[in-house]
Amino acid sequence: MDFFIACVWAAGIAIGIAAFGCSIGQGMGLNGAVQGIARNPESSGKVTVTLLIGLAMIESLCIYALVVALILIYAHPQAAEIIKTVAVVAK
Amino acid sequence: MGFDIHKRLIDFVIKSNWYIFIIITLLGFINTPLKFALGILFGGFLVIANFHLLRHTLYKAFQPLKLDKNNFNLNDSSIISNEGRWLLNKVIIKYYIRFTISGIVIFTLINKNIVEPIGLIIGLSVVVVSIIAATTLELTRLIFKEAV
Repeated sequence: MDFFIACVWAAGIAIGIAAFGCSIGQGMGLNGAVQGIARNPESSGKVTVTLLIGLAMIESLCIYALVVALILIYAHPQAAEIIKTVAVVAK
Repeated sequence: MGFDIHKRLIDFVIKSNWYIFIIITLLGFINTPLKFALGILFGGFLVIANFHLLRHTLYKAFQPLKLDKNNFNLNDSSIISNEGRWLLNKVIIKYYIRFTISGIVIFTLINKNIVEPIGLIIGLSVVVVSIIAATTLELTRLIFKEAV
């Protein structure tokens, strides 16, 4: 049981840290892009492309963290073996 | 010339997204179990759809007419006009809606055991791989251009 509690804790902390980092990164990127375009509207195309690529990369990191967190909770690879081991030890 | 590189880069990423997605999905259905291949299919499709929606949102929001000096005080970034604030909020709200829908889809896929999680991660990497490929290609082109 402790193992599964630890998994849920790990998943929660993992997605929390990932969301924190990604949101700061994306916020900084967006802020820079908006200010850059406001200063020089002609650079809109270039800045948007660079921002798009950057945001896509950052966003994918957060999605990876979400998937890993969900794997930890719902599809842990060793869950069945651990349950078996715990059952054997309990007997 | 600068804009050419950016246009080329984004065109390359958009095309290579689909090529990589089709290739790895086909390879997945041929070589791996059905759940693994479905993971690649759903993951790839989700991330490509996300990328296109993000592109649409950004291009719509970052038109030069909407972003002018009247909406943003460049000396103090905390002073933004109502219109500028609404513009930023719109981008962020759309981002959160998109991200929530992606989260729900991924949650359902893993929770209901419809797909293999490793396959899903491979599928979700399609855009990252194509961006890395695009930047590597541009860098290689730049290095060889300088060498000549």
